[in-house]
Amino acid sequence: MSIMRRSAILALAAASLVPQALAARAAELNYLTWEGYAVDGFISKFEAASGCKVTASYVGSNDDFAAKLAAGGGVYDLISPSLDTVPMLRLAGFVAPIDTAKIEGFDGIYPEFSKESDVVADGETWAVPLIWGSVSLIYRADKFETKPDSIAVLFDPAYKGKVSLWDDKSALYWTARYLGYDNVFDLTDEQLEAVKAKLIEQKPLIRKYWASAGELTELMANQEVYVSNAWTGLTSKDVNNLKKGFEVVEFTPKEKAEGWMDSMMLVKDSPNEDCAYKFMSFMQSADGQCGLAEATGYFPVNPKAVQGCMNDALKKERQVDNVEFVKSLVMWQQPARLDKYLETWNAVKAAP
Amino acid sequence: MTLTRRTFPGFAALFSAPLAWVLLLMVVPYAIMVSVGFWTRQFPLFHPDFQFGNYAQIFADPQYTTVILRTLKIAALVTVCALLLGYPLAYFLVFTVRSPRLRNLLYMSVIVPLWVSYLLRAYTWKIILGTDGALNSLLVSTGIVSAPLDVFLYNQTAMVVTLVYIFVPFMVMPLFTVLDNIPRRLVEASEDLGVGPFMTFWKVIFPLSLGGVVAGATMTFCLSFGDFVAPVLVGGPDGIMVANLLQTQFGAALNWPLGSALATLVLALVLILLQLSSRLDRAGRVDLS
Repeated sequence: MSIMRRSAILALAAASLVPQALAARAAELNYLTWEGYAVDGFISKFEAASGCKVTASYVGSNDDFAAKLAAGGGVYDLISPSLDTVPMLRLAGFVAPIDTAKIEGFDGIYPEFSKESDVVADGETWAVPLIWGSVSLIYRADKFETKPDSIAVLFDPAYKGKVSLWDDKSALYWTARYLGYDNVFDLTDEQLEAVKAKLIEQKPLIRKYWASAGELTELMANQEVYVSNAWTGLTSKDVNNLKKGFEVVEFTPKEKAEGWMDSMMLVKDSPNEDCAYKFMSFMQSADGQCGLAEATGYFPVNPKAVQGCMNDALKKERQVDNVEFVKSLVMWQQPARLDKYLETWNAVKAAP
Repeated sequence: MTLTRRTFPGFAALFSAPLAWVLLLMVVPYAIMVSVGFWTRQFPLFHPDFQFGNYAQIFADPQYTTVILRTLKIAALVTVCALLLGYPLAYFLVFTVRSPRLRNLLYMSVIVPLWVSYLLRAYTWKIILGTDGALNSLLVSTGIVSAPLDVFLYNQTAMVVTLVYIFVPFMVMPLFTVLDNIPRRLVEASEDLGVGPFMTFWKVIFPLSLGGVVAGATMTFCLSFGDFVAPVLVGGPDGIMVANLLQTQFGAALNWPLGSALATLVLALVLILLQLSSRLDRAGRVDLS
């Protein structure tokens, strides 16, 4: 009797574990993305509608996506790198092509993005555009006599110890533009050396290289820095919301701001493909596009989806139906020699 | 000892788990690390190979030697500061505090911070040293300075301060143990022979405590040498240490071969150091029997 009872309990316990494990696998989505891209406001709507539980992890730069995927499979189902990292992830074999027929609202996306030559390659679509925006400069209005208009402000000794810069290879793009190069994604060895020298010369002016949006917000809010490059929309909104008694202001330098487009990519052999497709569809809906745009301050990629959830003023601010705005930006591309760029940026950081 | 049939099951039961642990989690990973150090990076990933290019790159490109030397400097500074703070503290606890209860209480207060998350303790220094931080508020409110200073945070000094704070218990613990084990009669004998307190310390106590000094210094040095949190939290643009380089090579740069070569070098450096310290330890040992 007692043995029978014990084995019955064991069997029951085992049986109850199996569906739990299956259910947990079937209804979750592990999303590797940027800060602000998985906030409760719209994620909870998705979870309620789809039954998929979203677990988000965050990256500090585009180079983190491949690094995290290289560390082992099965952890992430969906990632959201910027366009300049899309080809690399495809070449490394970390992602699977996407069946666009399974994505509701895919047709509403600006064709400039959904048909882009890195999004569509080898006859397959590899990424579903998600959101776009720019990287511009932000500064403390109360600390500047005149409104800055150039990247030169990042190299101005007058702000020694009050300058910050994103800890990312894009530091090279900013410096290259400041030095007047227009081939920022294909710099020659001499140009890269000049960029490196300029960035090392700048180091005494730098208080801290920021590694996450949260860190830059903290640096600005705690008065550690007065000027930096920043993800347009997000940091200024976050700092000004803290009401510290000062305002940070964004501006586009005369050497142009940078543009980026983030898109969703499906990790190869993801066990949660179903949830991933549901999520990609959701992000093309009004709730998804407006929710993300509101949470981040960035621009929607699907003008059709946001027709009903944005007023005219907001549409104008977020460049809805004005994809031409892309042309005023230096859109990120994968550098022709990515390794060389990373090595150069690391050399700058390692320098005394 | 030879293994007989009778002792083998007992031997296996006792040691197979720790041996498997050492083999699977230490020997095999180290072997993998050393071999990946000879692989070749080829965009977008890397492939198995046997070549010395990664080592050549580490020695040819000054960015790596700069950082290794900086890390050695920071670790040495942390060790010296921790010793200068930790030795008098341990001495005070053992020889000056007479009540055992008070001594235990004070000793625990040195150890207790180890129970708090390392990250949290490092982060606290950011709040203390920042421009809007506690130290600046104090200086401004007492009128010592008129405006907040930004010299406290985001530099190598802040890193040394943070690391000393975090690793000082590792210095105090072995020192406390060796000092506590010194027979009091030796100190009394020295005093009976008319030797003053300083010479008693220098000729009797200090030599007998060298083992603790070496153990504490080795631990503090190795822990700070491998630290990567302090540079990220309180270090400035010139604060990168060798562990951050490793992080970058295994992360953003996706160059595991170069990262493995660098890690192998770091491991060799630490092994040499441990060898040196165990020699020092043996040289300083005094026979008390």
